[in-house]
Amino acid sequence: MKKRKYSAKFKAVDAFLIACMILPILFGIMLYVMFTPESSGIEISGARIYFTLNTPVQPLPITESQVNSWIVIISVFFLCLYLTHGLSATNPTKRQHIVEWALEQTKKLVSDNMGEFFDEFAPFVAAIMMLSAFSSLITLVGLYPPTSDLNVVGGWALLVFVLITYYKFKCGAVHYLKSFAEPVAFLTPLNVISEFATPVSMAFRHYGNILSGSVISVLVAASLQELSKIIFGKLPGFLGSIPFLQIGLPAVLSIYFDVFSGLLQAFIFAMLTMLYISSGFPEEDYKAKLLKKSAVKANT
Amino acid sequence: MQSSEVISVNIWQMIISILNLLILYAILKKLLFKPVQNMLVQRQNIIKTNFDNAKLAEAEAEKSKKLYEEKLGQADTEAAQIIKDAKQKAERKSDKIIQNAKDKADGIVSQAKTDANLEYQKVQADIRNEITQVSTMLSEKILEREINTDDHRKLIDSFIENLGDDYDSDQ
Repeated sequence: MKKRKYSAKFKAVDAFLIACMILPILFGIMLYVMFTPESSGIEISGARIYFTLNTPVQPLPITESQVNSWIVIISVFFLCLYLTHGLSATNPTKRQHIVEWALEQTKKLVSDNMGEFFDEFAPFVAAIMMLSAFSSLITLVGLYPPTSDLNVVGGWALLVFVLITYYKFKCGAVHYLKSFAEPVAFLTPLNVISEFATPVSMAFRHYGNILSGSVISVLVAASLQELSKIIFGKLPGFLGSIPFLQIGLPAVLSIYFDVFSGLLQAFIFAMLTMLYISSGFPEEDYKAKLLKKSAVKANT
Repeated sequence: MQSSEVISVNIWQMIISILNLLILYAILKKLLFKPVQNMLVQRQNIIKTNFDNAKLAEAEAEKSKKLYEEKLGQADTEAAQIIKDAKQKAERKSDKIIQNAKDKADGIVSQAKTDANLEYQKVQADIRNEITQVSTMLSEKILEREINTDDHRKLIDSFIENLGDDYDSDQ
C-alpha cells in the first residue's frame, strides 16, 4: 500500500480539529482555577456551583459536573470529526485503521452480549462508554469528574431503566405485568423491588466507585502531607516545607483510581446496560407475536 | 464559592445528564458510525466490482486459451499433413527420376550394343570384301591369268570363313 500524501489543507484541518479537542479542556481548567477559593484545606464536597437558575420544582444549579460533561461532549464531537476526517475506502489513513478496529470491536461486543436484534445499540453503548470513560479520565487534568456526581450517573441509569422497560413492553402490557409473577407468583414483590433496584444500583455503583477513589486520594494526600511535616519539618529553610512523602504514592493511587477504576466502571456500566436490556426483552415471544401478526395480515 | 452536597438529588441535573447522553449518542451515530459504515459499504462495492472484473477477465482468458489451443492443434495436424504430402511427392518424383535414368541408361546400353553389332558386322563385311579383292588381285597377279572371279570368290570366302572360325574360336 503506497503511503498517503497529506496536503497542506488536510493538515491544517487536522490541526484545527485537534485544537478544538483541547480548547474546551483548557477552558475547563481556566474556569476551575478562576473559581477555586484560595484556602485549600482538606475538603470533601460535591461539585462547585457556578451559578443557579431559578427553575420550577427545584432550582437548577449549574455545577462543575454539568460544565465538565459539556466539555467532554464538545471534545468527543471534535474527536469524531478528527477520526472520520479523510476516510477513504481504498487508501486508509492510520487513524482510520484504529477507528475501524474500535467500531468493529464495539459492534462485536454488542452483538455478542445483546444478540442480532439489538445491533442498532452499538452507538448507544459506545456513547455510554465514551461519556463515562472520558468523564472519569478528565480528573487526569485536574478537573472534577462528572461521574462522581450522583445526578449525572443517575440520569444515565434512569435512561437505561426507561429503555429496559420499553423493551419489556414490546410484547404488550399484559405480558409485561405477567413477567413479574415469574417464576412463582409469590415472588412478585421481590421482582418489583429488583426492577427498581436496577437503576439505583447501577447509578450508585458507578458514582460510588469514582467518588470513593477521589476521597481516598484526597485523604492519602492529606495524611502524607501531615506525616512529612512531622518527619521532615525540622529541616532548615524551605526544605522543611516540601512534602517529600507525597512524591510517588499519590501518583500510583491516581493511576488506579482515575485511570483503571474509571475505565473499568465505564465498561461495567456499558456491560450492565447491554445485559439488562437484552435479558429483559422477551425475544422469542416477540418473534412469535410478529409471526402471528404477519400471518393475520396475510389472511386478510 | 458554594459547593453542592456529596449526595444531592436534583431532577434538572438528571434530565440534563440524560440529554447529554442522548446528544453524545446522536453525535457518535451521525459523525462516527455512519461515515465509517458508508465507507465500509463503498469499500465492499469496490471489492465486489474488482472481483467481478477479475472473474470476467479470467473467463475471457480461459476462452482465448481454449481457442488458441484448438488453433495450435489444428496447425499441428496441418503441418503433419503438409510434411506427409511433401514427402510423398518427393518420393514419387525421385522414383520417377530414377526410373527415367534407368530407362535412359538401358536405352543407351542397348543402342550401344546394336551399334557395336552393326559396326562389327559392317567391319566384318568390309574386311571380307577387302580381303577378297586383295586376294583376287594377288592371285591375278600371281597367276597372271584371268580366272573366274566367281569361282575364286567362293574359294576365298570359304578360306576366310575358316579364318573367321579360327578367330572366333580364339576369342
